[in-house]
Amino acid sequence: MLAILAWRNVWRHKGRSAVVIGAMVVGIWSLTFGGAFMNSFLLSYIQTAIRHEVSNGQIHHPEFTQDFDIKFTIDKPQRIVSFLKENENVVAVARRSVVNGMIASTRQATGVKIVGVEPNEEARVTELDSLVAEGAYFEGISRNPVLLGKRLSEKLKVNVRSKVVLTFQDIDGNITAGSFRVAGILDASSTVIDEGSAFVVREDLNRLLGIEDGVHEIAYTTAPGTEDDLLAAEIQAAFPGEMVRSWRELAPLLLFMEQWMGAVLQVLILIIMLALAFGIINTMLMAVLERVREVGVMIALGTRRSRVFLMIMIETLLLSTVGGPFGLLAGYATISWLGSRGIDLSDYSEGLKSIGYESVLYPQLFLSDYLTIVAGVLITAFLASLYPAWKAIRMQPVEAIRGV
Amino acid sequence: MAALIRATNISKVYHKTAVPVHAINNLSVDIAEGEFTAIVGPSGCGKTTLLNILGGLDYPTSGTVTINGIDISGMKDSELIDFRLHNIGFVFQAYNLIPVLTALENVEFIMLLQKRSRKERLARARELLEEMNIADKADHRPGQLSGGQQQRVAVARALASNPRFILADEPTANLDSVSTENLLDLMARINREQNATFIFSTHDQRVMDKARRLIRLVDGAIVSDEVRS
Repeated sequence: MLAILAWRNVWRHKGRSAVVIGAMVVGIWSLTFGGAFMNSFLLSYIQTAIRHEVSNGQIHHPEFTQDFDIKFTIDKPQRIVSFLKENENVVAVARRSVVNGMIASTRQATGVKIVGVEPNEEARVTELDSLVAEGAYFEGISRNPVLLGKRLSEKLKVNVRSKVVLTFQDIDGNITAGSFRVAGILDASSTVIDEGSAFVVREDLNRLLGIEDGVHEIAYTTAPGTEDDLLAAEIQAAFPGEMVRSWRELAPLLLFMEQWMGAVLQVLILIIMLALAFGIINTMLMAVLERVREVGVMIALGTRRSRVFLMIMIETLLLSTVGGPFGLLAGYATISWLGSRGIDLSDYSEGLKSIGYESVLYPQLFLSDYLTIVAGVLITAFLASLYPAWKAIRMQPVEAIRGV
Repeated sequence: MAALIRATNISKVYHKTAVPVHAINNLSVDIAEGEFTAIVGPSGCGKTTLLNILGGLDYPTSGTVTINGIDISGMKDSELIDFRLHNIGFVFQAYNLIPVLTALENVEFIMLLQKRSRKERLARARELLEEMNIADKADHRPGQLSGGQQQRVAVARALASNPRFILADEPTANLDSVSTENLLDLMARINREQNATFIFSTHDQRVMDKARRLIRLVDGAIVSDEVRS
């Protein structure tokens, strides 16, 4: 009967309760949507970085990763490529040669990471072809084509078909240079691609490096839902002489951002629930204080204070949580709708791209996030119930019913 | 006859103002089972304070109160709550029913606290409402009942726990004369037929006329104790 009593008490002042319940609905909706929106930002950054930069995993010679010395090529790379292609979780594999060097135009020169790629493999792994904004993807230039990021091309003041010279050390330690012509300019949200990379055909680069068919880097992408860390461990076990790393190891910043997503939601919960908790406490205190006599009479008749405490707690929990499903449902509906259509922020895309985000964001909330929100609401309701309930049980029946 | 309630040399002093207020002054009284007693006196004479102390709602500053031989003056708050639940019925001037519960649920509520089975609770609550001639209002909430009807539900609630005695603080103060007569007749009948003990505090002459014992208080002390045949 305590629950019935509490439920009926909630509806004693319909308007007042409706305001609190409405605030909870709006608060929970804000949490779900706000959380999903934040996720879309972070996921966009992480996914963009995985898709166009680090891939789901990479394999190197262990010593190559220390100072990018080009002599440390992967031993028998073809057996690794075959192994990866046979794995059902691996979608695409790309081989690369990598060297740090200088790029110079007639106007400017700057340091750059020169990446020799197999155009078809690279297109499948990093979708590099999709980033071409001007010119073509290694086409239209008969000899030594190069792709540059937009910002790098602006810095060098070059356009499509402009000539640039790449300078670096070859395998014998000699400074070597090659003349390349810009085949395409890439429009990437990744600053690494936009400002610091030059993509050439691997065969062209290897010829200049003098490493024949040497491979410095094998990148692979995986099917959605693949446990990238487990897969990396599996590949590592098969090729103990090489270094296999998933994107979490390759880019600790992305891992930090992934963990940050959860923290952001918790901070949002804390802020919104704290504000709502004061509203709940205020309403319940009003409800308790205007029922001083009634609570006093209940205690006088023989209701233990623990039961009164429980009754007020149930009442607060009901008041706080009855709007929860509606808020979650409204949040879920909004996220589903915007999650499929996307939020187009192209008006701000220049600014967003400069910091590594896509211009269309897709709000997304995971089951664990929903559970965190539910837990946040329940904890808030529980904490908000303590003070009014404590206030209620401090009443002395003789004072509460005095003057009756 | 052995005393059901025995107050021995009880005093109650309030220190809420600069000058202490002596609400009860070294008062002793015995009340036997089956009595129909009215405590009367002018406003401020200590009627309600005495009733509160006898009912375990308040502690005496000094002296002891025993109920059926059990000293309640030294009990802890939680012990007193349980003691009241099983031994004392209350009827208040303003009825004080729980507004969100129906008449039946109000009567049932106290038996729920006593952890009695639902079947037993419902049967007893219906029986009591029947006895109070208010069975047809069982599903009405207090706000839908007249003052007299509410007070009859309150009496049913007081009886529901099978208490050793019922304390009624000015039970007729808010009732019209017809309701007062009906209520008093009802309580007198229950007293007669079930040997239930009633103790009233009252100003109401009609209650005094029905009482079989009249304890008159002045300044917290008994000035007369009249037993009628």
